[in-house]
Amino acid sequence: MNSTEIALAVCGIIALYAAFRVMLEKDTMKKLPFLNVISFAISGSIVLLVPHPLAIVAAAAYFVGSTLESNAIASTFAGGPRNE
Amino acid sequence: MPADPLHILIAALVCWLNFVTIDILFKLPERGGVSGAEEIGRHIEKGGGALHGGYMMGNIVSSPDASAGTLLASCGVYAAGIPGGLLAALLVYIGNRICHDPGYAGTTGCITATLIVYGFTLIGFSAADFIIGMVIAILTIQGISHVHASRLLSTLWRWREG
Repeated sequence: MNSTEIALAVCGIIALYAAFRVMLEKDTMKKLPFLNVISFAISGSIVLLVPHPLAIVAAAAYFVGSTLESNAIASTFAGGPRNE
Repeated sequence: MPADPLHILIAALVCWLNFVTIDILFKLPERGGVSGAEEIGRHIEKGGGALHGGYMMGNIVSSPDASAGTLLASCGVYAAGIPGGLLAALLVYIGNRICHDPGYAGTTGCITATLIVYGFTLIGFSAADFIIGMVIAILTIQGISHVHASRLLSTLWRWREG
């Protein structure tokens, strides 16, 4: 295995581990940090799989999108928007 | 080039120090930037963690901060060198505005990480080491023990305050 394949394998293992933690965690708010780890691992994998300048845009779009979803879920559980 | 576990370990440590330092300098543990981040902080505190560390973890979840900046900078340098890292900084800036985050922790973290990662590529490291290093670094904060991570971040925040 070359260094990219090893990096991809580690990203995949960490994403799977975080997915299990999401499933095992009962508290929805505490699921979100584990979900964040999955987003990191997948954004990294996108660029490792497709080493092209536009892959940066894809990874950033995926990351910002998933962050915004987590933000929306958390804000909804907190009782809706306060000043945002 | 075969991956060197030592390189990955050093990269993880450098990424960790970069994003924690910048997030704490930009006062992420002070309060939740959006109501969702505050709620995550309170739930982590209820589970036995520390409130200010919880706020910082909530802020990391709710908007691209310096940790996201470090990851995307590594991705940028991996795919396109320094211009890639700067493109990533622009995307993080846009991402912050989309997520209603008024701060500059993400953009700053992205620019410093671009320079750091590029510097390390000159001495034999691969940018892929830093991508995986950042995934490991975020795992230690968000993915192992929320109680211990939030207490550690709160301790660092008290140093910053005091």
